[in-house]
Amino acid sequence: MMIHEETARLLTWLIPLPPVLAFALIVLFTNRSKWLSHTIGVGAAILSFIGSMLVTVFYAFRVEHFGEHPIESAINWLPTGNTWFRIGVLIDPLGAAVLFFVSITIFMIFLYSVGYQNYGQPAGDHDRAGLPPHGATIEEHGHKHVVPSVEPMYSRFFAFLGLFAFGMYVLVVSDNLLTMFVGWEIMGLCSYLLIGFWYGKPSARNAAVKAFMTTRIGDVFMLLGIAFLYSATGTLTFREIFTEETLHVLASTPAAFGMTASGLIALLLFIGTVGKSAQWPLHVWLPDAMEGPTPVSAMIHAATMVSAGVYAVIRMFPLLTADFTGHGLTTTMSIVAFIGAFTALFAATIAVAQNDIKRVLAYSTISQLGYMIAALGIGAYVAAAFHLITHAFFKALLFLGSGSVIHGMEHGVLHTGNHNVDPQDMFNMGGLRKKMPVTFWTFLIGGFALSGFPLITAGFWSKDEILADAFGHGHWAVFVTLAAAAFLTAFYTMRQITLTFLGEPRTKEAEHAQETPWTMTTPLVVLSVFAIAYGWVGIPEHFPVLGGLVPNWFHDFVGHTLAEVPDAPEFSWIPLLTSLVVALGGLALGWLVYRNVKSVSDDRLQIPLLKNKYYFDEAYDFLFVKPAYWFAETFVYKWMDKGLIDGILHIFGPTTGGIGSAIRNYFDLPVINRFFGDGSADVTYWFGGKLRAIQTGRVQQYLMLALVTFIVIGVALYFFVLA
Amino acid sequence: MVPLSWYLIFAAALFSIGLFGVLSRRNAIAILLGVELMLNSVNINLAAFWRYGNVMDMTGQVFAIIVFAVAAAEVAVGLALVISVYRRRNTVVADEIDMMKW
Amino acid sequence: MDFIATHLLSMILFFPALAAVVMLFLPKDENKLYRWFAFGASLVPFALSLYAWFNFRTVQTGFQFEESYPWYEAIGSSLHLGVDGLSLTMVLLTTLLTPLAILASFSITDRVKPYMMLFLFLETGMLGVFMALDLLIFFVFWEIGLVPMYFLINQWGSANRNYASLKFMIYTMGGSLGLLLAVQMLGVLFGTYDLLALYDRWNALEAGTVLLGMSVHTVKTIAFWAFVIAFAVKVPLWPFHTWLPDAHTEAPTAGSMILAGVLLKLGAYGFLRLILPLYPLEAKIFAGALAFLAVAAIVFGAFGSYAQTDFKRLVAYSSVNHMGFVVLGIAAAAFAVGTEDARIALNGAILQMFNHGLSAAGMFFLVGVIYERTHTRNLEEFGGLFPLVPVYGGILIFTSMASLGLPGLNGFISEFLVVRGSFGVGVNSVPVMAIYTAVAMLGLLFTGAYILKGIKKVLHGPLNEHWAHGEHKLTEINTREVIVMVPLMALILWIGLYPAWILDVINKAVVMLF
Repeated sequence: MMIHEETARLLTWLIPLPPVLAFALIVLFTNRSKWLSHTIGVGAAILSFIGSMLVTVFYAFRVEHFGEHPIESAINWLPTGNTWFRIGVLIDPLGAAVLFFVSITIFMIFLYSVGYQNYGQPAGDHDRAGLPPHGATIEEHGHKHVVPSVEPMYSRFFAFLGLFAFGMYVLVVSDNLLTMFVGWEIMGLCSYLLIGFWYGKPSARNAAVKAFMTTRIGDVFMLLGIAFLYSATGTLTFREIFTEETLHVLASTPAAFGMTASGLIALLLFIGTVGKSAQWPLHVWLPDAMEGPTPVSAMIHAATMVSAGVYAVIRMFPLLTADFTGHGLTTTMSIVAFIGAFTALFAATIAVAQNDIKRVLAYSTISQLGYMIAALGIGAYVAAAFHLITHAFFKALLFLGSGSVIHGMEHGVLHTGNHNVDPQDMFNMGGLRKKMPVTFWTFLIGGFALSGFPLITAGFWSKDEILADAFGHGHWAVFVTLAAAAFLTAFYTMRQITLTFLGEPRTKEAEHAQETPWTMTTPLVVLSVFAIAYGWVGIPEHFPVLGGLVPNWFHDFVGHTLAEVPDAPEFSWIPLLTSLVVALGGLALGWLVYRNVKSVSDDRLQIPLLKNKYYFDEAYDFLFVKPAYWFAETFVYKWMDKGLIDGILHIFGPTTGGIGSAIRNYFDLPVINRFFGDGSADVTYWFGGKLRAIQTGRVQQYLMLALVTFIVIGVALYFFVLA
Repeated sequence: MVPLSWYLIFAAALFSIGLFGVLSRRNAIAILLGVELMLNSVNINLAAFWRYGNVMDMTGQVFAIIVFAVAAAEVAVGLALVISVYRRRNTVVADEIDMMKW
Repeated sequence: MDFIATHLLSMILFFPALAAVVMLFLPKDENKLYRWFAFGASLVPFALSLYAWFNFRTVQTGFQFEESYPWYEAIGSSLHLGVDGLSLTMVLLTTLLTPLAILASFSITDRVKPYMMLFLFLETGMLGVFMALDLLIFFVFWEIGLVPMYFLINQWGSANRNYASLKFMIYTMGGSLGLLLAVQMLGVLFGTYDLLALYDRWNALEAGTVLLGMSVHTVKTIAFWAFVIAFAVKVPLWPFHTWLPDAHTEAPTAGSMILAGVLLKLGAYGFLRLILPLYPLEAKIFAGALAFLAVAAIVFGAFGSYAQTDFKRLVAYSSVNHMGFVVLGIAAAAFAVGTEDARIALNGAILQMFNHGLSAAGMFFLVGVIYERTHTRNLEEFGGLFPLVPVYGGILIFTSMASLGLPGLNGFISEFLVVRGSFGVGVNSVPVMAIYTAVAMLGLLFTGAYILKGIKKVLHGPLNEHWAHGEHKLTEINTREVIVMVPLMALILWIGLYPAWILDVINKAVVMLF
């Protein structure tokens, strides 16, 4: 069966809508009803899932020459001068492959959340919005005992998840960078909201801000890159940018720092990815983001947000390699390869020393994303995409599995009532394989996939392809670094499995842990199927024995996204043996070292430098956060605004007043008032006083005076005028 | 014929006598009489100038008659004032009527 | 209908003032009546401007709904009104925000009548600036707007209102001194104040002409700066911005809404309506300086906001930050008039004016809502309010995100267009703009920091016991307050998702003008 092209196009437009409608409905109307909210939420996830499956499995995977004729559709959106900026949807082979895993993981996570947030349990005794549920006391068969209580903000959780899913779908189906960025940022917001979901915990609210701000550093660079690209090409639509002509122009235009325009743009966009995918040096937010509820961690780390970062680089791959001639990496590619490889190893070393079950996975995520980034840096397009997808499956599985473990442990904690026991600390666990068999087996599959357990797991095939690519193209440094990282990965994964599931319970709480409900275990089982089987679609053709049994469908399909289909790396025994050795060696070593560890003090890898993540948080705090505070509060506000500018303004007041009073005191009062005003009066008064003596009132004297005056004037006239 | 200067000298003498009377007499009525003398000396001048000037021109005579009328009016008002002052202050001595000083 | 069509603008313009005068004759001590009367009266211009909006023909060039009445014939000034896409957008913003501000002030109980009257007068003052096509009329309305605002701050403000209102008044008046002189000069030179005539004749002056004993260039430069300073104070551009936090903080809630929502736009509007068309050459020469100041406003505004412990001051400083983008867009356009980049930058700048009007008004209102209940604005005393007021919290986060420029909401569209335009100018013609734009991004980063700080300090955190019980118990946002926010939020979302409806009008005006 295959659907029609028109239908596929319409469906693509519709895929992102159900989750956002669910968000709106839950926020506006059904906030009070837990049942309605999760029904709407999960229902929306199912609708999007069905839509995605129709578009991918029943159209994209079957149609011929899909790479040349992808699903495309666009509308006018922004008027820009005489032209319009158009937005639309695009599903090409890469998009289809990504949409496939995204819709599955999102659906699984929605389903899992129902159980994880304790749907159907009674409301807690002292629970309140903003804090994790603390358990409810119920009476059964005459005696009281404590059971998990339902999350107080249950509906809100599904609303946020819906918005998050919307963001991811928008990102995947976008045909242009701008709407892709819209989805990207919506996810950023949701991760902020979800990490800070239990906002009553100070650690959660700080982690939320940290996550948002750290990724935003990347985002502003990315926005700059988008603006640059848009300015240089006049379009942001992928298929218009990735024409040979445009790429050639970009690759031959020099920009700043000795890079070409394409290189600089790709670098700016890549910085966005560094933030989003938590690559060194912007990796610090991701471990803290574990403050969120576990489905969130899975959502953020595996299925959506961090994958989005890598997806963006894969999308922009033609741009990244526009000025790549095949001989020697360009500046941008070297930077990408370096950051990826460095992060892969660096994060793996930290993961070795972490005790929190989720934090180990967080660092392993950073490390695996580094893998993909490194692969892209050396030009291994298909391998990166392949690892992105397999990783999404098994990492979602691991996160959900760890959530299940924590949930089981919380059960134990409620049972004993000892709230000092951290249900996330692996040293409090042990022996859980008997208590939680489904979780154990699925976690084991996920862990082996992550370690790259040979042949059967998906992780092996994707990782092997990256190593083969690095080796095949002679990028020795990358090859060695990634191999070392792979060894560490296998080691800490086995450490985690050993500490959590194997051996005997180390605490009472672990003894009373319980398997989780079906809503949580079903996603685990489904994802573990993919964690194994998805690897089979990408087995290299020339692989001994297995090669050619199934065609290398993935390479063929995704490769056609690009104008020139990249060659699969040639088969060589060295990378294959390397990956066998590191995977099996790491796993074996991990088991050997940790099978007898009884408590933290027995663990010789608790190195302060590693435990404290190389002191990056402290260093950033000292180098950036504190100075920023100082700059804002002291320099800008206190010195500049309040001191300098307002100081100058405040000079005007007194100065004007001073000039005014000076004029009054030294001119108006003495000169105008005293001298001219009062002075003329005084003079007149004085004369009057003197002259009043002649005013006798006697007429004859007046006449006499008149006569004398007459004579005097007469005489004077006579002498001066007539004579 | 008597020369003009004689008339003028006469008129001047008469004016001076009147002026002296106005300035030196204490009685208000006598002052008024002095004023009459001065006015009449003016009339003499007017008549004399008319006679020695253009006889056909009537201006001098007309003026003299106006002066008569003015003098009569003046005396009437002046005497009325004197009587009024006398009734209130019981005196006609000019020096004592000094309400208008300062 | 014909009468409405021919007198539309003057009706929009003078209706509020007329209503204010009628209010004088309303009976004593009827607060409810005053409120509803003022609210109803402010809805009329809104309805009329909607009518204008839907009857505005975007394809037609030039000003529409023009009206001209003799006013001061002896000096060649007439009451000439008219709108294009730029001013119509601003008129719509003004007439939309005024009813909301009046609705927001229903909680005022002190001297309601004069309060409402001042608001209506204020509306006339602001509308006059946007509609005037005569320089003198422009100036008159420019100053008229100050007076009601002065009294609103001075009489209904909070503790430090005397200082704030005086600073606001003196600063703005001081800034417009030069404007008045320059306006007079233009009027004296050409014997008319009519803007359309001045556009032609002022620009037609030849370079060699001697004016007032100086070369045309010198005269124009001086006049240019006189205009710029007047508008820069109003926008406000760094370093003329320090009146703003004081005035905004001390003004009553609705006053802040209008102040941030509309009054600041007057300055930016002045740049667009007067400076760019009258001084294209000077604007190009000094665009670098303008861009520098704009970037300083963006960056220092963001940092300044981040430094605040007073919630309202934090929001007030955010206006400096956001209006900086408007001026950045204008400066970029001044560099490259006529290019696609310039048009995009201007589209962004004008849309940013509208968007900031929505989000800043909303933010100030929300601050007011919580201030009314707690009588404090100190961020340190808040925290953990989310469980107490979930609906308020949701609305606050939504509005904050609009202010932060989250994609999908309106702020992003305009900021992106400005960044795109000014960076485009940087790439295609003046490299320094690229650097300015890059630095402005630092401001954008810190926009996030202060917004998140606000949310964190107000909503997040352990439940705040102080406001949770007893007499201090914080009550949820009420229906009237939600009604004030709904139109703002709807527009924020609508523009964010489908900006074409408004941007098309703006774009046409920009293409026509620049």
